[in-house]
Amino acid sequence: MLLKIAWRNIWRNKKRSIIIITAVMTGLSAGVFLIAFYNGMIEQRVNTAIQSEISHLQVHHPDFTKDYDINFSLQNGAAILQQVQSNPAVKATTGRIIIKGMIASAAGSSGITINAVIPEQEEAVTHLPGKLISGDYFGAGNKNELLLSQKLLSKLKLKRTKKAILTFQDKDGNITSAAFRIIGIYKTLNTPYDETNVFVKIQDIDSLAGLDSQYNEIAILLHSNKMLKETQSAISLAFPGSTIQPWTEISPEIGLTVSVSEQMVLIFMGIILLALAFGIINTMMMAVLERTREIGMLLALGMDKAKIFRMILMETVLLVAAGCPGGLAIAFIAIAITKRTGISFKKFEEVYASFGYSDVIYPSLDSRQLGLIMLLVVFAAILSALFPALRALRLKPVASMRK
Amino acid sequence: MNNTVIDAHNLTRIYDENTIPVYALNSVHLHITKGEFTAIKGPSGSGKTTLLNMLGGLDEPTEGYVNINGTNITQLKGNKLIDFRLNNIGFVFQSYNLIPVLTAQENIEFIMLLQKRPKAEREQRVTELLKEVGLIEKAGKRPGELSGGQQQRVAVARALAPKPQFILADEPTANLDSVSAGNLLDIMAKLNREEKMTFIFSTHDQRVIDRARRVITLEDGKIVSDTTPAPLVHTNS
Ligand SMILES: Nc1ncnc2c1ncn2[C@@H]1O[C@H](COP(=O)(O)OP(=O)(O)OP(=O)(O)O)[C@@H](O)[C@H]1O
Ligand SMILES: [Mg+2]
Repeated sequence: MLLKIAWRNIWRNKKRSIIIITAVMTGLSAGVFLIAFYNGMIEQRVNTAIQSEISHLQVHHPDFTKDYDINFSLQNGAAILQQVQSNPAVKATTGRIIIKGMIASAAGSSGITINAVIPEQEEAVTHLPGKLISGDYFGAGNKNELLLSQKLLSKLKLKRTKKAILTFQDKDGNITSAAFRIIGIYKTLNTPYDETNVFVKIQDIDSLAGLDSQYNEIAILLHSNKMLKETQSAISLAFPGSTIQPWTEISPEIGLTVSVSEQMVLIFMGIILLALAFGIINTMMMAVLERTREIGMLLALGMDKAKIFRMILMETVLLVAAGCPGGLAIAFIAIAITKRTGISFKKFEEVYASFGYSDVIYPSLDSRQLGLIMLLVVFAAILSALFPALRALRLKPVASMRK
Repeated sequence: MNNTVIDAHNLTRIYDENTIPVYALNSVHLHITKGEFTAIKGPSGSGKTTLLNMLGGLDEPTEGYVNINGTNITQLKGNKLIDFRLNNIGFVFQSYNLIPVLTAQENIEFIMLLQKRPKAEREQRVTELLKEVGLIEKAGKRPGELSGGQQQRVAVARALAPKPQFILADEPTANLDSVSAGNLLDIMAKLNREEKMTFIFSTHDQRVIDRARRVITLEDGKIVSDTTPAPLVHTNS
């Protein structure tokens, strides 16, 4: 009968209850959907980063990351590359030479990172040709070809097919320069990266820097992120002299984004639920105060405080529970739809790209997060139910009835 | 002595002890025996509600004690007191008597549910009581759908439900028109006559006072008179 009373009490003030139920529904659906959206954004960012920038694993000379010196190349690069290629978990792999240098034109110069790549293998690992927005990818016979971004091109006031001068230190520490012809313009989702990276063929740099088919970076793309740890330890076991890093270390900001996103989801949902809880507490407090006399009467008749407490608790929990299924249903439907269609932000493409995000987001939600959300909802419901119920406990039969 | 239901000794209740003390009750001695039909009258603020609250264990006296059928309720605390009230005392208040979201029938059943009576007994007793107060056809109505007089009759039925030692009614007719008030008094008097139910009610209403068989007058927290007029023959006036 307590449940019956609690349920009917909810409908005494229909307007108020409907407002609360709607608020719970809206808050929950918006919260869950935004979390899914945020997940989608992170996933996209991570996938883009792995598939087109940093790959799953990278092998370097132990000192390479401290100082991008050309001499910190891998001792046995070719052997590593071969061994890695034969690993079944590996989808594609390539070697590179990365050097810091400068690009110059008549109009100016700019500090850059020169990525000297093996054209076919680079295509397999980072889909470099797919990033070209105009011009061509590296040809077979031509020497000294250069790919750069539109941003850098404009900065140097150059045009495609013109030449730019690349300057860098060779392996003996002498400054070397050479003219490279711009054959293509590339663009990634990461604008800051685009402004400071150019691509050339590895054999051109080899001959200029006096290197002999060496690499100072080997990038490895796996079939799945699940194989990350195993593959990493397999390779580092085989080549103890080199450092092998997973993407979470190579790009700590992306690794951090993922681990922070977990907490963000909690904090985000926590804030929404806290706001809801305050609204509910407020409303239920009002409901308790309005019913002071009635509760006083119940106390006088012989309904003990534990029952009064339970009744108010039930009312609040029922109110919250009434809003939950609707809210979740709305969120799930919205996620299901947008998961297929994606949410496009064509207008804000530039903004997203400057942070390295794609402008089409595919929301997603995993069951563990859903569990966490449900746990939070239950927690918030109990929290918001507790205060009004405790308030009711403080009422005294006679004093309440005099008011 | 065996017929004593209530024995109140030296009841004193002081409000605002720290500032200006108000003696809501001042050394009241009261003895109620089984089957009484007693009215407590007196001007507003004379202490009627305070006295009834003390007798019902809703408020603690500053001094003195209340003994009900041998139990000193002044010494009962918390859930023991609540339980005692539930099983021994029926209450009818002036207003806000019923749970608004329950029907007349459910309101009466509720109190027996608190007493953990079995379903069959509850249902039988509810029907019996609703018949007794003449509201069997209103069983499914909520308080909001009943008149003030009908609500008070449901309250009397509810007070009766747990078969209490006595029923306390604080100005039960205050919000009623004279016809409804008369009806309510008829029912109370009948229950008193036929079931020997003890009633103690406070009132301002002379017509209600006229129906009582014992009239206690309070003034400034003191009993100034306690009379037993000749038992009035029940008329349909
Ligand atoms: N909770 C309280 N706090 C302070 N004073 C109180 C309280 N309850 C009652 N009093 C005072 O005690 C006195 C007796 O009050 P009580 O309510 O018992 O009178 P009453 O005879 O029932 O009056 P009425 O006919 O108006 O109902 C009054 O002076 C009242 O102001
Ligand atoms: Mg009073």
